[in-house]
Amino acid sequence: MLISFLIWLQNLEPFADLRSSAYVYPIVLALHLCAISLFGAMIVATDLRLLGWALRDGSIADVIHRLRWPKRIGFLLAATCGFLLFSSKAEEYYYNPFFRIKILLFLLVAVHALVFRKSVYSDAELERASEPPASAKLAASLSLFLWLSILCAGRYIGYVEGRSGMHFK
Amino acid sequence: MWIENPLSTSPAAFPILECIHIAGFALSIGMTALVDFRLLGFGLQKQTPAEIARAFDWWMLGGLIVALFSGLLLFSTDPDMYYLNWSFLIKMTCLLLAIAFNYTVHRRALTSRISPAVGRLVACISLALWISVIFGGIFIAVVRPGLS
Repeated sequence: MLISFLIWLQNLEPFADLRSSAYVYPIVLALHLCAISLFGAMIVATDLRLLGWALRDGSIADVIHRLRWPKRIGFLLAATCGFLLFSSKAEEYYYNPFFRIKILLFLLVAVHALVFRKSVYSDAELERASEPPASAKLAASLSLFLWLSILCAGRYIGYVEGRSGMHFK
Repeated sequence: MWIENPLSTSPAAFPILECIHIAGFALSIGMTALVDFRLLGFGLQKQTPAEIARAFDWWMLGGLIVALFSGLLLFSTDPDMYYLNWSFLIKMTCLLLAIAFNYTVHRRALTSRISPAVGRLVACISLALWISVIFGGIFIAVVRPGLS
C-alpha cells in the first residue's frame, strides 16, 4: 500500500525528471545543505543561549522568540529540498535503514518539542532568569544531540547501495 | 618506503569525516549567515550585528577549523582526483575569497560606522561567497573526472 504509493510518487513527471537530471538534482542537494547550515546555526545559537554559553546579555526568551520564525523558515527550506530528493527516489529511501533512522529521529525532535514547550520554549519566567535552569540546559543538550544525529543519519543515507545507487554513485 | 594512507583503505573513514566536515561548515557558515541576515535586518534584532559576531566568533572559528582539517583529510584520500576536479578548484578559490572577505571587509563593516546600504551589500557578498563554497563542494562529485 505505502510502497505502491511511493512508486507512484517517484514516477510522477517532475520527480522522474529530477531523478534523471544531471544538474538539477545536485543543485537541490546543495540548497538542502545551505538550508541545513542556516537552520543548524540557529539551533546551535538558541541552544548555546539556553546553556548560558553565548549571548548572555540578551534574555533567553528574547533569543528564542526572535529566532522562532527564521528557524521555521530555515527548516521549511531544508525540508522542501529534502522532500524533492526523497520523492525522486522514494522507493529506495523507503528501504534505506538510515532514512528510517532519520525519520525516527525527527519523531524524537517532535517529542522533545512537546516535552519542553511549556517549561523552556514558551516560559516567560526565563525573561528574568540570570542563570538558565536545569531544564533549559537539558533541553539544549538533547536538541544538539538529536540534530547532530539527524545530520549524520542524513549523510549515511547516501552510502547504502540501492538498486540505482543513491545520489550520483 | 611508500605507506598507504589508512584513510583510503578504511571504508568507514570517509563517511565519518564527511559528517564532521558538514557539521563544521554548517556551524561556521551558518553563524556567519546569522550576522549577514542581521545586517539585512532579520533575526536577532536586539543585538547589533557586531554583538552577534562577537558572541559567536569562537564558535564560527571552531567550526571553520574543524571543516578545514576534516576537508584536508578528505582531500588526502584521493588528491589527484581533487586536483584535476574543476569544481574543487572553484570551491577552493571561493573558500579563500570567503575567508579573506570575512576577516577583512566583513569584520571592518561590523566595527566601523557604515550606511545600512553598504552593510546589506557586504552581507550579500558574504552570503554569495559561502553559498558558492557549498555548491562547489557538492559538484565535486558531479564533475568527478573519469566518472561522468
